[in-house]
Amino acid sequence: MASVVIDNVRKAFGQVEVIKGVSLDIAEGEFVALVGPSGCGKSTLLRMIAGLEAVSDGEIRIGDRVVNDIEPKDRDVAMVFQSYALYPHMTVAENLSFALRLKKTARDKVDSRVDHAARMLGLADLLQRLPRQLSGGQRQRVAMGRALVRNPQVFLFDEPLSNLDAKLRVQMRAEIKKLHQSLKVTTVYVTHDQMEAMTLADRVVVLQGGVIEQAGRPLDLYDRPANAFVAGFIGSPAMNLLSGRISADGADFEFSPQTKLSLPEPLRPFAGRPVTLGVRPEHLNVAKDAKGAPAKALVIEPTGAETHAVLDLGGRELTTVFRERIPIAPGEIVAMSIAPGAVHLFDPASGQRI
Amino acid sequence: MAASLTPRKALNTALLTLGYALLGAFVLFPIYWIFTMSLKEFGDIIAYPPRFSFVPTFENYREVLFGNEADQAGGVMPDLLRFLRNSVIISSGAVLLSVILGLPAAYALARGEAKRANRARFTILSFRFAPELAIILPLYAFYTRTGLYDSYVGMILVHQLITLPLMILILMSFIRDIPIEIEEAARIDGAGPLTILLQIIVPIAKPGLASAMIIAFIFSWNNLIFGLVLAGGETRPITMGILQAMTFDQIKWGLMAAAAMVSAVPGMIASILFQRQITRGLTLGAVK
Repeated sequence: MASVVIDNVRKAFGQVEVIKGVSLDIAEGEFVALVGPSGCGKSTLLRMIAGLEAVSDGEIRIGDRVVNDIEPKDRDVAMVFQSYALYPHMTVAENLSFALRLKKTARDKVDSRVDHAARMLGLADLLQRLPRQLSGGQRQRVAMGRALVRNPQVFLFDEPLSNLDAKLRVQMRAEIKKLHQSLKVTTVYVTHDQMEAMTLADRVVVLQGGVIEQAGRPLDLYDRPANAFVAGFIGSPAMNLLSGRISADGADFEFSPQTKLSLPEPLRPFAGRPVTLGVRPEHLNVAKDAKGAPAKALVIEPTGAETHAVLDLGGRELTTVFRERIPIAPGEIVAMSIAPGAVHLFDPASGQRI
Repeated sequence: MAASLTPRKALNTALLTLGYALLGAFVLFPIYWIFTMSLKEFGDIIAYPPRFSFVPTFENYREVLFGNEADQAGGVMPDLLRFLRNSVIISSGAVLLSVILGLPAAYALARGEAKRANRARFTILSFRFAPELAIILPLYAFYTRTGLYDSYVGMILVHQLITLPLMILILMSFIRDIPIEIEEAARIDGAGPLTILLQIIVPIAKPGLASAMIIAFIFSWNNLIFGLVLAGGETRPITMGILQAMTFDQIKWGLMAAAAMVSAVPGMIASILFQRQITRGLTLGAVK
């Protein structure tokens, strides 16, 4: 096990800079998820840790060793690929043992480690099969097993669950978490799925355009997003982000002179100021026959445990989520209000939290 | 609706079958003709109108393979087996050398920067479409001066003009089809370039290697011009052996046909055994 330090790292492909100065300290045994939209640089960053991409500037350290110029094979990291990248001509057992055999590990040690990993991942009965004779989920397990037998300093995952169907994905997600809890190996996990990042990681790093937007514990990111991008990216359904201004008395949020939404507590310091208002869907209350801004129901989506509703307020669409059974029909007018303490304010120009 | 479609479909199938039959006849008739010629006596061969029914004889094959005792010179073509052996040595050697040289080259080109690789690919391809006749005279001068003339080494080297481009181009397409992540996984697992080539790429590209080898072998086997100009008495390949039937005073059609049939045997066996690989190798990139 080792820490990973990323120190002001940059990566350019020709003229195009895709990682624009990223610094991140990953502690020993920590599980860090890199998350962001496609093209944000998360995979490139992971591949630089693996040694598959050269570092244009800055430094990457694994343990106390600078690895910039060290070959992937000498970095003592293991990686699980989105496509699994199993060796198609080798059996499961050969796939699992390939790295150990290259290191000329003693035969009985190879066997015991392969055996151990196979039992851990439920592959014991499949050891003599070829990858093409396995289902997607089984291949995924082999890919994990191949990383596992190495007993590496760092685990690297590159969207390992993206090729699985939804149900299997949730199941494997839990297994990865269990695995990390028992092995406590430093792990860097790349995903575009914020839910995966939130559920798995000790710390979530949100990347966009080659820079870190925010890094923190999952619930900190959820509760106190540093900017409007993180606010909109973390959470599903996404946070409602509305541009407008705080009224002169600080009591209301004004979309336009005609449309207002009263704030749960007055925000006098910001009175009269243009802001971006953020409210999570579960903090937008709707009720029939209550006080609040009149919003028109557009779409009602019952999921069982909760109901998602899209409502129209003065020409803006807002999403709300509630667990109560409120009988609303599309077209109906309901009263909308914001729950106390649930307001996020962002600067409309910079997007930063204020 | 479906009923009106069926006769039309049947007609299409019939036309297609007819087309295939014509194409097949076009390709196979010459082989059939030479085969029957090889079984005919001289009188039957030169008969006009051509005879389709005749009493077959194996005399031509006997003479081609074992010589003719009645002939005081020991037969016209007593050396066909030696020509065959020469061809086996030259073509196998050429294919082997092409594998050794072409495999790393194809790997480097398949994984190298696309623009430069494509330029190199074109250069390699140009060796295939330059007519051999254009270079054979300077090569002849070079070969006679360096002692490569009439040597197996010389023949194997000059056959690289045929086999090496085929090997590189076919292997290149096969290697490009192997996902790069598999190599990256191997790199992280601790493999160096040579280990990756030998333990990952070669086993996965084995069908490609097989088809490249077979195709290169057949092309090399069929070559006439290098053997004609650059091989002497010691190294003449089978294609030259067939020409032995053209003697000073006559053309022995029956012997020529029998020799041609014998020389075609390896190609035919390969085509039948490895039909799938050959088709895949020749149509690479055509269907994606």
